[in-house]
Amino acid sequence: MSTVQGQAIFRDVPEPKRVGLRQKVWNSRFDYLYVAPAIIVMLIVIGYPIYYTIELSFFNTPASLALSAKQFNGLDNYVTILTSPIFWKVTWQTVVWTVVSTFFAFMIGLGAALALHREFAGRGVLRAILLIPWVVSAVAASYVWKWLYHSDFGAISAMLTQVGLVDKPINFIDNTSTSLYALIVVNVWKEFSFAMIMLMAGLQTVPDTLLRAAQVDGASPWQRFWHVTFPHLRGVSMVTLLLLAVQNFNSFIIPWIMTGGGPAGSSDIWITHIYQLAFGRQRWGVASAYAVILFIVMMVLGYFYVRALTKGDDARAAT
Amino acid sequence: MTAITEAAVTQRKGAGGWRWSGRIFLLLLLGFTVMPMIWMFITSLKTGFAAMQYPPQWWPSEPTLENYWRLIDPSGSVGRDFVQYFLNSVWVSTLTTILAVVVAVPAAYAFSRFRFPGRTFLFFAVLLRNMFPAVVFLVPLFILMKALGLVNTHGSLILTYLTFGLPLAIWLLKGFYDNIPVQLEQAARIDGATRFQAFFLIVMPLSTPGIIATSIYSFIGAWNEYIYAYTFLTRHDQMTLPVGIQRFFSENATDWPGLMAATFMMSIPVVVLFLVLQRYFVRALTEGAVKH
Repeated sequence: MSTVQGQAIFRDVPEPKRVGLRQKVWNSRFDYLYVAPAIIVMLIVIGYPIYYTIELSFFNTPASLALSAKQFNGLDNYVTILTSPIFWKVTWQTVVWTVVSTFFAFMIGLGAALALHREFAGRGVLRAILLIPWVVSAVAASYVWKWLYHSDFGAISAMLTQVGLVDKPINFIDNTSTSLYALIVVNVWKEFSFAMIMLMAGLQTVPDTLLRAAQVDGASPWQRFWHVTFPHLRGVSMVTLLLLAVQNFNSFIIPWIMTGGGPAGSSDIWITHIYQLAFGRQRWGVASAYAVILFIVMMVLGYFYVRALTKGDDARAAT
Repeated sequence: MTAITEAAVTQRKGAGGWRWSGRIFLLLLLGFTVMPMIWMFITSLKTGFAAMQYPPQWWPSEPTLENYWRLIDPSGSVGRDFVQYFLNSVWVSTLTTILAVVVAVPAAYAFSRFRFPGRTFLFFAVLLRNMFPAVVFLVPLFILMKALGLVNTHGSLILTYLTFGLPLAIWLLKGFYDNIPVQLEQAARIDGATRFQAFFLIVMPLSTPGIIATSIYSFIGAWNEYIYAYTFLTRHDQMTLPVGIQRFFSENATDWPGLMAATFMMSIPVVVLFLVLQRYFVRALTEGAVKH
């Protein structure tokens, strides 16, 4: 029985108080068998690439990716990036893309979750339909919206013309001043349902009795939302906002397929830019340095992400 | 007394106003959601000539299924390629799913039940993977695949799809295991079951919904994956759908009706899968994020 010390199942068996780390590891050796396959796969496909990206970021690697010919060039790649005006332009666009997409996806998702919370005929069907954009591939979504935005035959321009709002077709995505925002609309379309589904689950944790009590006390719908519902949603909102922000920061498919970051880099964001640097212009070192900077930014965000996700994990461990 | 009734009436009126604005909002949102899907379908029913008109025909004057027929007709080159892409996608997604679930089940169980040194660190490492975009891993994985001779094979995709499939599967499954009472296993252990028996005979059957949900996630994730497939595959006979359809239609002038038919066909499997198994899908996602 002494070998099962690591199990929660046998929590009631008194454990020796102060055991050395080595002893603890030895006692848990069977626990490691369960995680070993996962850890090995992760080391190969995640640990190794991270290490390699960091290494490449300090080298100048020939376009052919002939690794034997790579030359150490210290921080040159980083200097190249940070002194380039394109870096700051792309960073600003990434911030706009991430913040605006996240905000609208969340707000629309919240509105939908609140409106769908009450039981009514057809609610299940409606929820299912609203979730479809989130399930279909971003590739399909990108092509469909590219067609909707088409400068000559696009349905959106045509609708606006027929209603009389504009007198000639609008060029949404081949236009440096609108391309980024046109893509944000697609992105919001694709992911608002994620916020909706998370917040719907969150709403179920709001005790009905509290809402009713507030109603009896004469609270207006807005007061009920703000003072009763919203505090209960804080946890799930944090997780949702964080996940949306991470996902948006890491977007690639929608801008890549719809505009390729153009025209004139006006819809370029970090990931499309890195991809272009690496596989378009074969500047492996600079692209790797970009990835490392991104990595650091994500580590900071990741700290909050993990904290939000594992909140309650230790509370549960005690049961 | 009258004051109270009046207050109640105005209040109900207020609530009614909120309900109506909620309905109008939902209606607008529904329009926003389905408009692209409907337009995709309508366009796919048009001939190339009918699609290139302005203002567009809101409903095709001569609807045709020719675009779909072309995609599945094995005697034409378009059909042959499309069917090949489709089968490649099915193969890659299925294998990724099986591998991810088989590796993730014991790991998720251990993270949920056992307290071993390094558990927290390892679990954080798993969660953190979800933070990083494919691009961070792309260049080194490309080098690795070249070294292993896996470029242009499905092996390269299956291996790299585990980079996102595995952490997600572990996280989702752990949420399910956390909600299965430990007492059930304790009872089984007292009745003489070994650790493995308690796991396989008691926990596994109870976590079936979790495994189903996790499988759908892995499958849809792999089915929709684009960036690795786009980078690692250059040979036509190996391509999966998201990359394949791109190669198809942008060579000369874009054949929009054909492209819309292809995106429609590509979306069907995941949408059907999702609609049929919606219950599991929604529960799995929110299990970890919402604490009851």
